[in-house]
Amino acid sequence: MIARQVRKAPIYVALVLLSLVSVVPFIWMLATSFKHSSDIYTKVPSLLPLDKQTGEWAATLENYDHVLGIGGLGQAFLNSIWVCAILVPAKLLIDALAAYAFARIPFPGRDKLFVVFLAGMMVPTITLLVPRVHITQVLGMYDTRWGLILPNIASVLDIFLLRQFFMSLPGELEEAARIDGAGRMQIFWRIVVPLSKPVLAVVTITSFIFHWNDLVWPLVVTNDPELNTLPLALQQLASTESGRAYYIMAGAALSVIPVIIVLLIFQRRIMQGIAFTGLKT
Amino acid sequence: MASPVLAERPAVEPRPGRRRRPGIGRSDQLIGWLLITPALVYFVVFLLYPAVAALYYSFTDWNLRTAPNWVGFANYTELLFNDVEFPHFWKSVQVTLQYTLIAVPLTLVSALAQALLINAIRRGSNTFRLLLFLPVVTAEAAVGAIWRWLYDPQYGLINAALGLVGIPKQNWLNTPELVIPALAFIAAWQCGISMIIYLAGLKGIPESIREAAIIDGAGPVQRFWKVVVPMLRPTTFYLVVTGTIAALQVFGLVYVIFSGGGGRSVTGGPEQSGLAYVLHIYLYAFRYDAMGAACAMSFMLLVLIMIVTALQFKFLKQEAS
Repeated sequence: MIARQVRKAPIYVALVLLSLVSVVPFIWMLATSFKHSSDIYTKVPSLLPLDKQTGEWAATLENYDHVLGIGGLGQAFLNSIWVCAILVPAKLLIDALAAYAFARIPFPGRDKLFVVFLAGMMVPTITLLVPRVHITQVLGMYDTRWGLILPNIASVLDIFLLRQFFMSLPGELEEAARIDGAGRMQIFWRIVVPLSKPVLAVVTITSFIFHWNDLVWPLVVTNDPELNTLPLALQQLASTESGRAYYIMAGAALSVIPVIIVLLIFQRRIMQGIAFTGLKT
Repeated sequence: MASPVLAERPAVEPRPGRRRRPGIGRSDQLIGWLLITPALVYFVVFLLYPAVAALYYSFTDWNLRTAPNWVGFANYTELLFNDVEFPHFWKSVQVTLQYTLIAVPLTLVSALAQALLINAIRRGSNTFRLLLFLPVVTAEAAVGAIWRWLYDPQYGLINAALGLVGIPKQNWLNTPELVIPALAFIAAWQCGISMIIYLAGLKGIPESIREAAIIDGAGPVQRFWKVVVPMLRPTTFYLVVTGTIAALQVFGLVYVIFSGGGGRSVTGGPEQSGLAYVLHIYLYAFRYDAMGAACAMSFMLLVLIMIVTALQFKFLKQEAS
């Protein structure tokens, strides 16, 4: 037993080193974000917020105070929450209903339509970007909150994943419910949704992470700084305050921490989800 | 939504003495279309129309100020052959291919190494997996901001760490030759998804094969090359294809890394060494208002991605037969 543990020691050492490479950037981000501006520029970088002269603990919240207020990240944080709070549930509902129809309700042309949907999945976002912005303008949603939401209100990939899962459910339960006189929607809400909680959770979590982190769409569809989402505000902070790492790292921490909390809570679900789907990229 | 009305119908429909056949009936047709309608509207307005429109615009000189004029293949030929009009087109192609050729293998090697190590232990494997996964869920904007600071030539952690082993300070993001390796390293730092997928692949290798190899006297190195690598071939192929498609479209990261001068200004980095193809498209579309050229570039990318995808399907078919 002990010999076995000793034999595994090099593996643990290697994993600890790799994990450090993975995690140290975050620790440094946090340390920088809590440092006084005068303590940032030291010859030997410090992974703790220490006073440059005395080497004593000297953490401060003033960087957060600055970026949340003057830096505009407070407003951006609320905007991001607002967008995700509407977009994620609405998208889940639309995708799940469509996926259920594609999986279970036969109607003429259904499978051909599904193939067309799948073909649409191959088109890279950048190809669609220019006309998407244009049509958002035509619809009067450019530079509005709805322009951030409605053009992302469904996802072909999510419909595909949900359809696959719904099709794998045993049909007997639904059949029995139908014979008992249940309608399609009753079956959906009372049987399909409860059985599909794991996959619905995976889709919800990945969708939240994706939209919380998304930079490109807010970048091209808004202009008004009042509408900045968090990634956009962070990018602008990094651009305008490029010499002030303490502000930028405070902003980065605000963007990263909520997602890390979600990851910690739902880690098992997320890992399982990725193992068979791959995360949205 | 429509459920209260529609839910009542099956109660009326079944006729006595005749079992309902599943999945047939007018109400199904109606419900089916109703459920798909929101997704269909999205699909037509924000996917199908934009795809068709982008193709059309790529054959026009649309610049937002005047109505689009049909110019045939002019955008495509100008992009490919006119280096006065489009001085950086080929540079952006070169940057993107170089980045892809370095980032994809680097990501896969580090993902496989991590997966093998995690697969070899029991205790703490979930913790290591979680720590190695953290960079994946981090927003591009934050990744860019953090790494700009890590690569800082004077006060950055990277130079300090390399200084410990005697490597002199480098100005990573301002030296044209170092920009692509520096970006590829960030991509490898974010290899967590590939790691998870490799881990699933490793779990799928039957224990019996491993044992048979041990009985036949194969050492760990031989087992790795003769058993693990061949068994992971489909996984590796999938990851190469999806990784290549993603790397060809790298944008957000370079946008943040090379934004400067305030607000939404962005550059292609020192001597355009970080001018990713999609960044080049973005600049033409949203800075220079050259929508026609931007759409032509994005269609060339689409064709390339379709070729890569087609190769994937061809390979998968071969594997299956």
